[in-house]
Amino acid sequence: MLAAIHSATLLGVEGRSVTVEVHVSTGLPAFQIVGLPDEACRESRDRVRAALLSSGLAWPSRRVTVNLAPSSQRKGGSGLDLAIAIGFLVANGDVPSEAVERFGLLGELGLDGSLRPVPGVAPMIAALGGVRPIVPMESHHEARAIAEGEVFVARTLREVVDALTGEAPWPPAPDDEPDIDQPDPPDLVDVRGQAAARLALEVAAAGGHHLLLVGPPGSGKTMLAQRLAGLLPPLSPAMALEATMVHSAAGVRLPAVGMIRRAPFRAPHHSSSMVSLVGGGTSSLRPGEISLAHGGVLFLDELGEFAPTVLDGLRQPLEEGVIRVARARVSASLPARFLLVAATNPCPCGGGAPGSCECDDAARLRYLRRLSGPLLDRFDLRVGVQRPEVDDLLAAGGGETSAVVAARVLAARQRAFERCGLVNAQIPPSHLDLLAPISADARLLLRNELEHERLTGRGYHRIRRVARTIADLHGDSDEVVLEHHVALALQLRVRLRVTSRGQAA
Amino acid sequence: MSTAPPAQAYAAALAGFSLMNVHRLGALLRHHPPEHAFAIASGHAPADGLIGRVLAKPDVRDTWRTCATTHSPERVWQRCHDLGVRVIVYGDPDYPTILLDDPLPPPVLFALGDLAVLEGRRVAIVGTRNATAAGRDVATRLGHGLGASGVHVVSGLARGIDGCAHRGLLGAQGAGRALGVVASGLDVVYPREHLQLWRQVAEHGLLLSEAPPGTSPEAHRFPLRNRIIAAMSELVVVVESREKGGSLITVNEAADRGVPIMAVPGGLHNRSATGSNNLLREGAGAVIDASDVLIALSMDHRRSGPAASDQRARPRRDDIPVYEACAGEPRTIDSIVLAVDVSLAEAAMSLARLEQAGWLGQADGWFEAVGAPLR
Repeated sequence: MLAAIHSATLLGVEGRSVTVEVHVSTGLPAFQIVGLPDEACRESRDRVRAALLSSGLAWPSRRVTVNLAPSSQRKGGSGLDLAIAIGFLVANGDVPSEAVERFGLLGELGLDGSLRPVPGVAPMIAALGGVRPIVPMESHHEARAIAEGEVFVARTLREVVDALTGEAPWPPAPDDEPDIDQPDPPDLVDVRGQAAARLALEVAAAGGHHLLLVGPPGSGKTMLAQRLAGLLPPLSPAMALEATMVHSAAGVRLPAVGMIRRAPFRAPHHSSSMVSLVGGGTSSLRPGEISLAHGGVLFLDELGEFAPTVLDGLRQPLEEGVIRVARARVSASLPARFLLVAATNPCPCGGGAPGSCECDDAARLRYLRRLSGPLLDRFDLRVGVQRPEVDDLLAAGGGETSAVVAARVLAARQRAFERCGLVNAQIPPSHLDLLAPISADARLLLRNELEHERLTGRGYHRIRRVARTIADLHGDSDEVVLEHHVALALQLRVRLRVTSRGQAA
Repeated sequence: MSTAPPAQAYAAALAGFSLMNVHRLGALLRHHPPEHAFAIASGHAPADGLIGRVLAKPDVRDTWRTCATTHSPERVWQRCHDLGVRVIVYGDPDYPTILLDDPLPPPVLFALGDLAVLEGRRVAIVGTRNATAAGRDVATRLGHGLGASGVHVVSGLARGIDGCAHRGLLGAQGAGRALGVVASGLDVVYPREHLQLWRQVAEHGLLLSEAPPGTSPEAHRFPLRNRIIAAMSELVVVVESREKGGSLITVNEAADRGVPIMAVPGGLHNRSATGSNNLLREGAGAVIDASDVLIALSMDHRRSGPAASDQRARPRRDDIPVYEACAGEPRTIDSIVLAVDVSLAEAAMSLARLEQAGWLGQADGWFEAVGAPLR
């Protein structure tokens, strides 16, 4: 009359193990779910009953109580449907209890008895621990990426029941789809001209430096940003696991192989809300865009059009690599270590060469002031992008391919990791002299820039980190950063007219 | 104030009336002494002619009657007195002679500074508010050169070219002085960031306005201000102007008064120089440096010319192609790499050296040649 089934729910990007207890007794016919279910969870009552009847199983007129343990935690979503249905069958005596005790069940039921995928299968399986997962057919690749042992799949409730009672074998797992990974990201070879911006992408990828692209509409800012993810090395196993968990929890479709191995690229629209960007919202604390960009690139086009509060919300995760979302009863830490690339016009009219802009100084200032301040300060690289020259557009053959650049990026990253175990953008100022010593003439160059007030103290540290990355990319065996590395770093940090007035250089 | 205010106080008060304009004020003051004109405008004396027709309109009559109490001569006079502003009425002995024969002379002028500036040679330097770095640089050097040669510079204290011309002049510390003609009241600094410049002009030169203290910089006042700039100058130099820029109003006013016009040539791709280049095509004299202006004024220009010693270190030989690429038109580092055929790193080094030496300036990733050209 009593059954206990293993299952799990999702909070943030972590699964939480849940035991579904079902009790069937005599009394007035009723079906009750207790243990803090949310709305979707409470509605599973109606889905489960309809699914059982559609699958040709009995629904007796008895009193059914479902408890979701631990009872003090809030449970959300429809992923417990299968566990409740099977729990009922066990308690009713239709399925032997020994048959289910070593399984964990995940999945939503349709009224026709079909089994449907739910978001977060990967983290939920991680939470199940040692038991063997039974998941919907569509979630197979997601489950396989995480599960240590065998994964059982089914298309319908009937198939699960038949397999558990031994009347039929488990349905075979779907063939691994041909190993077409994610579609290839766009290649750098398509970019014509733009020597400085190309270098900036390479430096950003190699050193983990956040990048701001400034240029008129149509100059290719978006095109450049999209190519950055292709320059990043494949994710490390730990990073790949975290990224997979996040994507699974957010219900974003995973690649056929299950695990995310390529650096993701996320480009939320500038009308995005705070919650959609940083995560949270419902009680299950869904990960936001910055967590989906974990290990990859977050691209904010038209940076000035984002709501100021949304941009302020990015500052803490930019520093710490995680975002802590807390609500009244629950809180979760979502991973959010991403490379920020932003694009903006230089002024409301789009601008261009000096003198061709139609905006007056006040309008320009107002426009750029939206960007200034703490966030603008976090971009190590600020590059002006201009429309390519006609000759460049027509010239046969582009520059280097992404593969060539990515190889240099990987080598530079390894060099930096061997030196200090960090990407260069994270070198603390106190370690700069140790990890990024500069030659005497390079020091003189920087000194002059500081004396002419073209560089602030904060900008100085950023230039040195960027110069370190450039030196790593050049692969000069000498560990000292040279003058031309610093000169290039200075060119990758253009002075915006608003910043040249000493607001935030 | 215990004593009755002088005649100028009545004219100053009238200038601040709502619905007053230069024609109405001119008509009032041309035929009547200021006290009587004030009485007419406030409805205490009969009116005839143009003023009679204007006062026949109920809105004007009511507004002026109200203004007569809010803008009382005593109050306006006190305010001018507190600010140190002089009030000069058309026909007064110190009214600028050059404006006496003007087709539309300012009936009342408010002045802050030394009226002796009106005596010397005067050249207007005007141009766009959205100037390029090169344009600002030329304006500064022209102001500097003219100031050093003892020529007074008339300008409007606007952003961009106007401000640069006066800054250059003040920096020269020569015999030439600044004459700023502004559209707002002399205590309403516009644009705000020119507060310092505004004070310096009042201190070392002369600030003039047609509007009494407290008048805000309304858009319709600027074309009227431009007519005074044109009228007070012997020569108008346009540094950079857009195809339909406000400085072309000054040019038209100058042309109406037979004042010669000169212009500084700008790059063909420079939108800020379209208007000034069109002036050159229509026959305006070309100005490359201050000596061109001095020659046009028939003054001795031999002491002028490029600064005797350029403080900047001469660029290295391999930096010169990069400098020359930027001297033609504003360039980004990408276009420099293409034009000069150097590597990105070499271009970056050259740009760093040229910028440090003061040959190039950069904003938003664009490099422009600044200062006297390399010869």
